[in-house]
Amino acid sequence: MTENRPSGFANPWLQLGLNIICVVLYELLLKTGAKSTADLSQTWSWTGITGLASPLIWLAIVVIILDLMIWLYVLKYIPLSIAFPLSRVVDVLVPISCWLILKEEISPLRWCGIGLVIIGLAIVAKPAARLEERL
Amino acid sequence: MTWWSFVLILVWLATFVAGQLFFKRAMESSGVTGFRNRNTIAILSAGIVLMTISFFLNLGLLQRFDLSYLYPFQGLSIIIITMMAAVILKEKLTWRLTIGTLLITAGVVLVSMS
Repeated sequence: MTENRPSGFANPWLQLGLNIICVVLYELLLKTGAKSTADLSQTWSWTGITGLASPLIWLAIVVIILDLMIWLYVLKYIPLSIAFPLSRVVDVLVPISCWLILKEEISPLRWCGIGLVIIGLAIVAKPAARLEERL
Repeated sequence: MTWWSFVLILVWLATFVAGQLFFKRAMESSGVTGFRNRNTIAILSAGIVLMTISFFLNLGLLQRFDLSYLYPFQGLSIIIITMMAAVILKEKLTWRLTIGTLLITAGVVLVSMS
């Protein structure tokens, strides 16, 4: 927090947004890839190494490396205790995108959970806004 | 097998949390001394090794369990990381941040239970 906040594309909050998009993308890629390569009879399957047989996993790894660089950049400017809870907006975005794109059902209880996450994010976002003033 | 899975989930969480803390430390260090510094590189490498272990364990767990079963544990990582950031990295933890983090965690658990 010793440096001035970069503006434009280098804005750490914008980068946090990009990080979130990357996470949603690679979570979906990983699940699809892991499912297609699941063979629990193999000795080493618990290490997840068998997942490497899927090209989707490799694509996910590329996204993860990109995401890692973005995330490190975010951490340079934003405290971990604020950036990490905010980044968990993906826990809302993943089920919602499944609902919108894959037409999956979302139960009332699940909507309640999504609501709680959004309220929590709003509360965490307030100290984040204060931090922004200090930057 | 369930006992073994529980251990795997614990190690997955622990490596993930530790990796994040190492990343933050490395970036703090890079802000002071730059990226050429041996210390920065060492901390960053440790973070990357931990995250790689965590990544493959996650993959192994995904092959075994539904994403919705594993999600509550991922939700736990939010509260653990926030607390660790306060304790180890000495980040300022306000009541507001604590309550917000708890609500996010509760929400993630609800989403995965339903």
